[in-house]
Amino acid sequence: MDVSLLDMLQLPFMARAMITLAVLALAAGVVGLGISFREMEFVSDGVVHAVFPGLVVGSLVAGTAGLLPGALIAAVLAAVLFTVLERRRGSSSDAAIAVVLTGLFSLGVVLVSKQHGYVSQLQELLFGHLLTVTPEQLWQIVVVAVLAIGVMLVTGRAQLFRAFDPAGFAAAGFRPLVTDLALAVATSLLVVAGVQALGVLMVVSLLTVPMGVARLVTRRLGALVPIAVLVPLIVGALGLWWSFEWSVLHDVSVSPGALVVLLLVAAYLVAVAVRLIAQATGARRRRRVSSGASAIAGARGSAHPGRVAP
Amino acid sequence: MSYFGLAALEVTLLGLLGGIVGPLIVPRRRSFFAVALSHATFPGGVIFAVLGYNLLIGQALFAVLLVLIMAALSRVPRQGRQVASGVVLALGFALGTLLTSLNPDLGVPVEALLVGSPLSVTPTDVLATCCVLVCSLLVLALFRRRILFHSFDPAGFAAAGYRSWPVELVVVAVIAGAVVVAMPAVGAILGVAILIAPAAAAQLVVTRITLLPPVAAMLGVGSGLLGLWASRQLDLAAGGAVGLATTLVYVLAALWRWIVHRTPKEVVT
Repeated sequence: MDVSLLDMLQLPFMARAMITLAVLALAAGVVGLGISFREMEFVSDGVVHAVFPGLVVGSLVAGTAGLLPGALIAAVLAAVLFTVLERRRGSSSDAAIAVVLTGLFSLGVVLVSKQHGYVSQLQELLFGHLLTVTPEQLWQIVVVAVLAIGVMLVTGRAQLFRAFDPAGFAAAGFRPLVTDLALAVATSLLVVAGVQALGVLMVVSLLTVPMGVARLVTRRLGALVPIAVLVPLIVGALGLWWSFEWSVLHDVSVSPGALVVLLLVAAYLVAVAVRLIAQATGARRRRRVSSGASAIAGARGSAHPGRVAP
Repeated sequence: MSYFGLAALEVTLLGLLGGIVGPLIVPRRRSFFAVALSHATFPGGVIFAVLGYNLLIGQALFAVLLVLIMAALSRVPRQGRQVASGVVLALGFALGTLLTSLNPDLGVPVEALLVGSPLSVTPTDVLATCCVLVCSLLVLALFRRRILFHSFDPAGFAAAGYRSWPVELVVVAVIAGAVVVAMPAVGAILGVAILIAPAAAAQLVVTRITLLPPVAAMLGVGSGLLGLWASRQLDLAAGGAVGLATTLVYVLAALWRWIVHRTPKEVVT
C-alpha cells in the first residue's frame, strides 16, 4: 500500500468522511439493537424511502439548508405512520408498509421530475456523497445521531422489556405505543443522519447488517452493541482507504459509500460462515461427549451386573 | 404503435400480472422479499448495460442469483426473518452503485433503471411481460390448490404429507419473473408498486378469496393507466406517477373499508 491510512486522514474531506462513518456506526449499533430485536428491518426500509420526498420538498423550499429539516419531518411522520399501521393492521401490515413506501418514493420522484436537471439531483439523493460532507453537514449529522442515541438510552430498559416479554410489559403498566414510537423516532433520526452521506438506500444496510453480524457472533447481550459498532467502524475505515487508494493510484472512480456497504455485507457473510463452522464443530464435540458418557455408563453397567443401565 | 400506446399496453399487462402475483405476495407476507428483490436486481441491469446486452436478461439472471442467496441465508439460525432480505437489498444496491461509479459514461441512464420510464418500453419488453403473464397463469392453474393450502396453513400442508419446497419454488419464481419484467416500466425501486398495491387494496375490499385476483387485476390496470394519463397531462415522471396512482388506489380502498365496515375485520390473513 502506497498511501497509509494516516496520510489519507490528513486530508480534511477524508477525515470528515471517516468521522461521519464513525458517528453513524456508533448510532447504528445502538439503534440497530432495537430494530433487530423487534424485527423492524422492513419498517426501517420504509422510513428510508419516506425520507426521499422529504429531501425533495426540503430542497424545493429552502435549498441545501432545507434538506435536513425536510428529511427529518418526513422521516418522523413516516415512522409514526408505520408504527400505527403495524399496530392496526397486524398480520397484513407488511403489504401496507410496502404500499406506503413505494407511494412516498413515487411522490419524491414525481416532485423531483418537475424540476430542471433533476437527473443529477436524483442521483445525488440516491447514492449520497460521503466525500463532500461539509463541516456544517457533519455537525448536523452529529447532532441528529446523538439525539437518536439519547432516545435509545432513555427508553433502553423499556425497549428490552417490550422486546422480550410484550405481555408482561403491558401487564406491568407500561405503554407499548410510547415505546414503539420512541424506537421509530430513533430509527428515523438515524436514517436522516445517514442519508446525506450514504444515499437513500444504503442507509438501510447500516441499520440492519451490523447487528446481524453481532447476533451471529455472540449470544451475550452486553457484547452485541460493541460488536455492532466495531464492525462498521473497521469496515468503514477499510472501505474509505481502499476507495481512496484506487481513485488516486489507479485513476478509477469508486463510490466509497458503496464499497463500505459491500464490505459490510462481506463481513456478514464471514460471520455466517464462522457461525456455521462453530455449529458444526460444536455438534461434533457434543456427540463425542455424549458417546463418551454412554461408554462410561456401559462400563459401569458391566461393573454392576445386577443393575440395568437406563 | 405509438410509444404511448405501447406504454399503455405494457402497463395493462403489468396490471393483469399484478392480479396474479399480488395475491401470492400479500397474504403470504412476502412484501419485503419482493421489495428487496426488485431493489437488488439493479446491478444485473448495470452489468448487462456495460456489456451491451439486453437489461432484462441481466436482471433476470441476477434475480435468480439473489433468490438463491436469500434462500441460503434464511436457513442460518438465530436471526430475524427479515435479515436475509435486508442483507440482499444492501448487497444488490451497493453493487449497483459501485458498478455505476466505475462506469461514469454508461450508455444507459441510471435513473431509468431505478425509477423506470414506461414511455420508453420496447416491443421486446412488452413481449417479455406477455410471456411471464402466460407462464404465471399456466403455473398457477396447475398449482392453485396447493398454493392456497400452503399460504393459509403451512403446518397443515406439511402434516398432510405435501412437501413445501416445490410450492415455495414456484411462488418465488413467479414473483421474481414479475419483478423483473416490471423493471423497464416502473424501475428497480418502484417495481413492486404495481404488483403489491392493487392486491393489498383488493384485500381490503373483497370478502372472498376467489375475488382477490380479478379485483386486484382490475385495480392494477386501472391505476396503471390512470398514472400514465396523469403523467402525460401534468408532465410528471411516468414511473413515479404510476407508483403514486397505485398508492392512491390503496388509500381509497382503505378509506372505503373504513367507511363500510367501521369495525376492523380480517378477511384474508
